Amino acid sequence: MTEFIQITVGGVLVGAIYALIALGFSLVYRVTNVINLTQGAFCILGALSTYMLEVEFGWGLPAAAGASIVAITLIGMLVGAGAFVPGLSRLSNANMLMMTAGMLTLLEGLMLVVWGSQPYAPPPFMGMEPVHVFGVLVPTQGFWIIGTTCAIITVLWYLLARTTFGKALRACAENPAAATLMGINVSRMQVFSIALAAMIGAIAGVVTAPTTSIQFDTGRLFTISGFIAVAIGGISSFPGAIAGGLLLGIVTQLATAYVSSLFSGAIALGLLLVVLIWRPNGLIRAGTQRRQDVRDEPRVWKHVTRLQPRVRTVMAMIGLALAIALPLFVPEGGIMSSLVIAGILFIALMGLDVVMGYAGQVNLGQAGFMAIGGYTAGYLATQYDVAPVWGTLAGMALSLVAALALSLITLRLRGLYLALATLAFGLLMDSCAVGLADITGGPSGLVGIPSFAIGPFDFGSPVAMYYLVLGLLVALMLLLGGLIRSSFGRALQAIRTDQMAAAALGINVVRCKLIALSISAILASLAGSLYAFFFHFLSPDMVGTSRSLELVAMLVIGGEGTLVGALFGAVLLTLLPTVFQPLAQWKTFASGGLLVLSFLYMPEGIFGSFARWVAARFNKPAKISTSPVVSHV
Amino acid sequence: MMLECRGITAGYNGSPVLEKIDISIGEGEIVTLVGANGAGKSTLVNAISGLLRPMSGEIHFDGKRIDQLSPADRVRMGIAHVPEGRQVFAGMTVAENLSLGAYTQSSRSVSDLRSGRMRELCDQYPFLRERINDVVGNFSGGQQQMLAIARGLMSNPRLIMLDEPSLGLSPLMVQEVLNLVTQLRERGLSVLLSEQNARAALAIADRGYVIENGRVTLSGKASDLLDSPEIAERYLGVGAATRFSQEESKRMAASLRDCIGPATDSPVPGVRMS
Repeated sequence: MTEFIQITVGGVLVGAIYALIALGFSLVYRVTNVINLTQGAFCILGALSTYMLEVEFGWGLPAAAGASIVAITLIGMLVGAGAFVPGLSRLSNANMLMMTAGMLTLLEGLMLVVWGSQPYAPPPFMGMEPVHVFGVLVPTQGFWIIGTTCAIITVLWYLLARTTFGKALRACAENPAAATLMGINVSRMQVFSIALAAMIGAIAGVVTAPTTSIQFDTGRLFTISGFIAVAIGGISSFPGAIAGGLLLGIVTQLATAYVSSLFSGAIALGLLLVVLIWRPNGLIRAGTQRRQDVRDEPRVWKHVTRLQPRVRTVMAMIGLALAIALPLFVPEGGIMSSLVIAGILFIALMGLDVVMGYAGQVNLGQAGFMAIGGYTAGYLATQYDVAPVWGTLAGMALSLVAALALSLITLRLRGLYLALATLAFGLLMDSCAVGLADITGGPSGLVGIPSFAIGPFDFGSPVAMYYLVLGLLVALMLLLGGLIRSSFGRALQAIRTDQMAAAALGINVVRCKLIALSISAILASLAGSLYAFFFHFLSPDMVGTSRSLELVAMLVIGGEGTLVGALFGAVLLTLLPTVFQPLAQWKTFASGGLLVLSFLYMPEGIFGSFARWVAARFNKPAKISTSPVVSHV
Repeated sequence: MMLECRGITAGYNGSPVLEKIDISIGEGEIVTLVGANGAGKSTLVNAISGLLRPMSGEIHFDGKRIDQLSPADRVRMGIAHVPEGRQVFAGMTVAENLSLGAYTQSSRSVSDLRSGRMRELCDQYPFLRERINDVVGNFSGGQQQMLAIARGLMSNPRLIMLDEPSLGLSPLMVQEVLNLVTQLRERGLSVLLSEQNARAALAIADRGYVIENGRVTLSGKASDLLDSPEIAERYLGVGAATRFSQEESKRMAASLRDCIGPATDSPVPGVRMS
C-alpha cells in the first residue's frame, strides 16, 4: 500500500508538470482557438537558461530563475507578434497547428545551437534529501512543484474569471470582430496570451527541471504529454486541463511501476483513445458551453493554381527526363542515397496529400503506417525469409487493417481532435515499436534486413533503388492523378471545402474519408517497407512521430493539394542536411524556420508558387462566360 | 454635422465595394441606409467603426478626422457599432457581455460607472435583469438583438450604428426594435440605421440614403423617400438600372409579385408597387 501511495505521489508530481503545460495550451486556445505546440519548448528554454545562469554563470537561483522567466516571456511575445498572430489572419486552424509545430522545431533548433545535444540535470532548489510525510518519501522539489502549480492556477483563474482584462481575453476567442467593436485590441490580446502562456511554461520548466534530465528536444515530449492531458481533460476548461494532467501523470507512473516502462506510453495513449471515443470533448466540460451549430469555419480559403493539360504534360515530360538523367550527373554516395530517401518518402507523401491536401483531414500519424509496413516486411524477411515483395504486400494489408481500425475513431472527429487522434495513433505505433522488442528489436532497432529484390533482381545499389522508386512513382502518379480527376477526387475536395454541404449533395462522406485514409495508409506502408529494405535496418525513431511531423512539413513546404508538390518539400528537407553536413547542428533550426516562413509567406508551397508562375506564362486565358447572371425567374 | 463621410471608397482584397460615398449624420438624428443585400451598407458601417480601413476618402466625427484611428479610439470618442447578426459573446453571461461593452471606460470609478449604467439598462429592459447570469448563446434572436444594443449603449456613445437590427426577427420583434431606436433619439443619441426593411426604417427616420451597387443613388428626407416611386422598384433589388432594361425589371417585378402572393395587393409589407 505504501508503495502504491509512493508511486501515486510520483504520478502527481509528474502530472503537475503536464497540468501546467496543459494550462498554457488551454489559455492560448481560449483566446485564439488554436493549440500552440511551442508550449513545451518554452519549458525547456526556461529550464536550460536558468541552468546556464545559475550553474555556469554563478548567479543565485532567484536571479537566474527571474531573469530566465522574463526572457522567455519576451521570447513568447516575439513568437506571438512575429509569427503566431500574423498567421491567425492567414491560415486555417489546422495549418496554424502545423505552424506552431514548426515554431517548436525552430526553438528546439535554437536550443541545439546554444546548448548542444547533451542532457542537463539542474540541481534541486533545496537539497537532495527527500522528506518523510506519513511514511511516504517526497522529494523537496515536489513541494515547490505543487506550490507553484497551485499558485499559477489561482492567479490564472482570478485573472480570467474576475478581471475585466480576463473577460476581454475571453471575448477575443468568442468573437474577435465583436471584441474589436468593444474597443479591445484583439491582436495585442492574442500576443499577450502567448506571452503569458510562455511565462507559465518557463516557470513550470524552472521548477520541474530538477526532477528530470532535460535536453534540447525534451520539449517535444512535454508538448505531446500536455496535448494529451488537455484532450483528456477538456480543452476549454482550466479544471479539465489540470485534471487531465494529473490523471495522465498518475496513470503513466502506475503503468511504469506495475506493467512495464516500455508500455507506459501505450497505456496513456489507450486512455486517450478511450476518452476520445467516449467523450470527444474531454472529461470536464467547459462551464460555458459553446454552441454546437456554429461551425469551425476556416478563416482563409486556399486557392490552388491548376495547370492546363497541355502545359502539365510538357512539364511532366521535362521533369521525367530530368529524373531519368539525374544519376548520370550525381556521384554515387550521400546525395544519391538522399535522393532515394526523398523518393521513398514522396510515396508516403502522395498518400498524405490525398488525405490532407485533397480531403482536408489532418493526419499527424502517417509515419505510424510506415512503421507497420517497415517492421512487417523487415520481420518477415529476417525471421522467415519471406521474399521482399510478399513482405511488402503483407505490410500493406496490415496497414489497411490498422487504417480501418483508426477510422473507427477518427471518422467522428474533426479539426483539433482529429489531429490529436492521428497523433495518438502515431505515438501508439512508436511505443509498440519500442515495447514489442521481440518483433521489432526494441529501441535499438531491427537489423539485418536484406535488400529489396524481385525474383533474381537485387536492388542493392542506390542507383538500382533510385530507378525502382522512380518507376513506382511514375506509376503511382498516373494512378492517383487519374483518381483525383475522377468524381471521387472531386468528392474529396468537396469534403475539404464544406463537409456538410458535401453530404447534402449526396456524397458519402464516410466512405470517401475511409477510402482516402486507406490509400494513404497503403502508400505509407509501401514507403516504410522500401525504407527498411534500403537501410537494411529500422529503428523506432526512423518512423516515429518526428517523422510524421516532418512529412507534414514536407507536404506544406512543397505544396498541398497538388500531388507533385510534396516532392519539392521531400527533396529540399532531405538534401539540405546532406549538402550542409558541416552545419548539421543548424538543421533543426533551419527546417523549423523554413516551415514557419513558408506557412506565413508561401501558403501554397514551393510547387504552388511555381505553378502560379508557370500558369501566368503559359496557361491560355480562360473564356469568360458573358451570359447574364439571371436568365429566368 | 456630427459625422461626415466624404468620398469613401472601401472594399475587400483590393476590389472596392463602395465608391465615393458621401453621407452625414446630424446631432440627434436618425439616418437610415436603405438598400438590397450586398449593396454595401455593412461595408460603410464597418468603415465608420474602423473594422475596415477605407481605401480613400475621409471620415470626420465632431470635426476631427477619424479614419486613421483604431476602432478602440472611435469607441472612446462615442461611436458604438451594433454589428449585423448581433454578434453577442455567446459563451458569456449577460453581465459579462454588458461589462465588455464598457471596456473602454477605464477610469478609477469604473466599476461604479459600469454597475450604474448596467442598472439603468436593466431597468429599461427587464429581461436583462431576469437573466443577468445566464449564458446568452441560447437566447432568442430578439433577446440577443436587445442585448447587443444594450451592450453598445454601455460605452455611453453619442452615435450608435445599428446594422440590420431586424435581421431574422419576427414582425412583432422588429417593431419593438424600431420603437427602441426612436427612444434612443429621444435620449439625445444620433442613430445610423442600416436596414433592408426600407418602409419600416424610413417610417421612423429623419433622413435616408438609398445605396445601390456601392453608390448613393437617392437621398433626402425620409418622408420624401417614402413617397418616391423609385424606392419600390429599387428596393426590390431588380431595378439595377445598369443591367436590366425598364421592361425587364417590370416583368421581373411582376413575376416576383406572383410568386409571393395575390396580385391584388402589395406583396411586401410597406412597398407600394408602381
